[in-house]
Amino acid sequence: MDLRTREAITLGKLVSAISQTLRLGAGATWPGEIALRIQPRILRFLTHRIPHLVLVAGTNGKTTTVKMIQTILTHAGHRVVRNASGANLDNGLVSTLLSDERAPYVIFEVDEATLPNILKDVTPEIVVLTNLFRDQLDRYGEVDTIAEKWFVALGALDAKTTVVVNADDPHLAFIGSKLAARVKYYGLEDPSLFLPKMQHATDTIYCPNCGARLTFAGVYFSHLGKWACGVCSFVPPTEDVTAGDFQSPVEGVYNKYNTLAAALSAQILDIGKQTIREALTSFTPAFGRMETIVVEGRRIKILLSKNPTGFNESLRTVAASVDRGPVLLALNDRIPDGRDVSWIWDVDFEQYSNFPKYYVSGDRALDMALRLKYAGITASIVDDIPKVDMLWILPTYSAMLDIRKKLIGRKIL
Amino acid sequence: MKQSLTIGWLYPELMSTYGDRGNIFVLTKRCEWRKIQVDIKTLDFQTSDRVIEDCDLVFGGGAQDRQQGLAIDNLLKKGPVLKKLFDRGVPGLFVCGAPQLLGHYYMTGDGKKLTGLGIFDMESKHFGKEKPRCIGNTVYRWDDTTIVGFENHGGRTYLGNIQPFATVVKGSGNNGEDKTEGAVYKNCIATYSHGPFLPKNPHVADWLISKALEVKYGKKIKLSELDDTLEWQAHEFILNKRA
Repeated sequence: MDLRTREAITLGKLVSAISQTLRLGAGATWPGEIALRIQPRILRFLTHRIPHLVLVAGTNGKTTTVKMIQTILTHAGHRVVRNASGANLDNGLVSTLLSDERAPYVIFEVDEATLPNILKDVTPEIVVLTNLFRDQLDRYGEVDTIAEKWFVALGALDAKTTVVVNADDPHLAFIGSKLAARVKYYGLEDPSLFLPKMQHATDTIYCPNCGARLTFAGVYFSHLGKWACGVCSFVPPTEDVTAGDFQSPVEGVYNKYNTLAAALSAQILDIGKQTIREALTSFTPAFGRMETIVVEGRRIKILLSKNPTGFNESLRTVAASVDRGPVLLALNDRIPDGRDVSWIWDVDFEQYSNFPKYYVSGDRALDMALRLKYAGITASIVDDIPKVDMLWILPTYSAMLDIRKKLIGRKIL
Repeated sequence: MKQSLTIGWLYPELMSTYGDRGNIFVLTKRCEWRKIQVDIKTLDFQTSDRVIEDCDLVFGGGAQDRQQGLAIDNLLKKGPVLKKLFDRGVPGLFVCGAPQLLGHYYMTGDGKKLTGLGIFDMESKHFGKEKPRCIGNTVYRWDDTTIVGFENHGGRTYLGNIQPFATVVKGSGNNGEDKTEGAVYKNCIATYSHGPFLPKNPHVADWLISKALEVKYGKKIKLSELDDTLEWQAHEFILNKRA
């Protein structure tokens, strides 16, 4: 290790320690940011001594999947560190490693645009690919652009790495089929969860291999489903685990996927089936992801909803739940949310016009109210969180932080 | 007599990147609220020219590169019948990458020349990754009214012998140089505004509906007033927005 790298690590750790001691609250990214400025390749030096490194990437489900893997490994008696606060760019990863050098298991969620760059410096034991949906077009660009970059970056990995792939996403399955790394697949294989018809918000419904329209025997949501190409030789892979193998501890079809991704990763890390099942029963949701908050006897359930597919699944979860209450949609357009709110028109509100009551709030409350108007829904625009016995809140990322601050006095933990 | 309109929607599966269907929802609802019956026709690979000829209004959304690649050969074959329709005065709305698609050609960043429909006398060019994309909320002037949108495009468009759709007040518009935004051919509008363009511009939605009725029934038909308070509040919000 050269002097520059040593300097970067020493200074980064110092900033991390100061930030923790003084509770500055900037510890999630700043130590890493400073260390990266001194040594841009610092991840290479910080990760090579880690026995078990897992990266989780994809549009939706990263935070929950990471927390599930952590829950399982902790239950099995291992020491684990993860980037808990959603700091999933390189500076967040470096900061986490500077704050805890000794944990043998490191689980990171990685921003989809950041993954290719991270893989230049890091050889993980496992990379989990959850799904790819349209999300923040102004920031990420098009789904195909991301997929193309992943394809190149993951293609450089060899059999030291296992890539855990959602087989129900045709584009990810296609990437999986081309890798030199070892590949394991998960998928639901549960026709009882098929939607009556395909949603509008889909991205990969044309064959990633030949361009023909894929056929779907059924869809779980968006373009995740039982797909097939009738034209070329590209066929769905055989899954290593399916929904029958592990039960999701949280509501929502998307959490079934998160559960399978976490369980399959844990199996690759030599955790037994029984231990995984036990551990999952003790799982508590990550902040804002189907999180329940109780304030003065009032129950609030928060479902982060930041893109069409995630939003559709949140609405489906609300409709299927035993909990009945009004729904507050909180829409912001700050940097972490994406400046462009066009995507709300891809959400299928039309199917949920019978909810008891809709409230809207956030920077772009007017846009949301207008979207609902054309779905035949009259919403009330509010500044504060309505005081009712049971309230569902579906916020974008920064709106979720604001709401948690209002409810419990802090944004994240 | 009950009025009705047939709206043709080009490749809803492929040309629908980011909330584009909001335009269809708005056209449909604003007709239905006025008791004008609406029939939405999907115009895609199997559609015959006859079906296209029967459309009273045509909408085209934005596509990702791969999706556009899948649709383009088929779409180019529809060029002549679409032009015939627009020459007849049938209104159209094309959002997002439309100025690139409807012109003579689009030169990509790596120098590939993609043939367009050639209905609009204009050319588009991508100057490579060094030149920043045009991204952000936009405000335009359209006669004596304002128009709001969101643009997100890498290419720049230069108009030939054709009128711009609007004048840029805020944002880049066609090329960030000449203050023009989009273009109009007869009653067909092309704009760089992407996704749900009509929800916050109800006057443009109604202009399209009026033109469609006028061409179909051969006379001017006055549309009944709707309560657009919320639409204009959302419009004003963008007018006053800083970033």
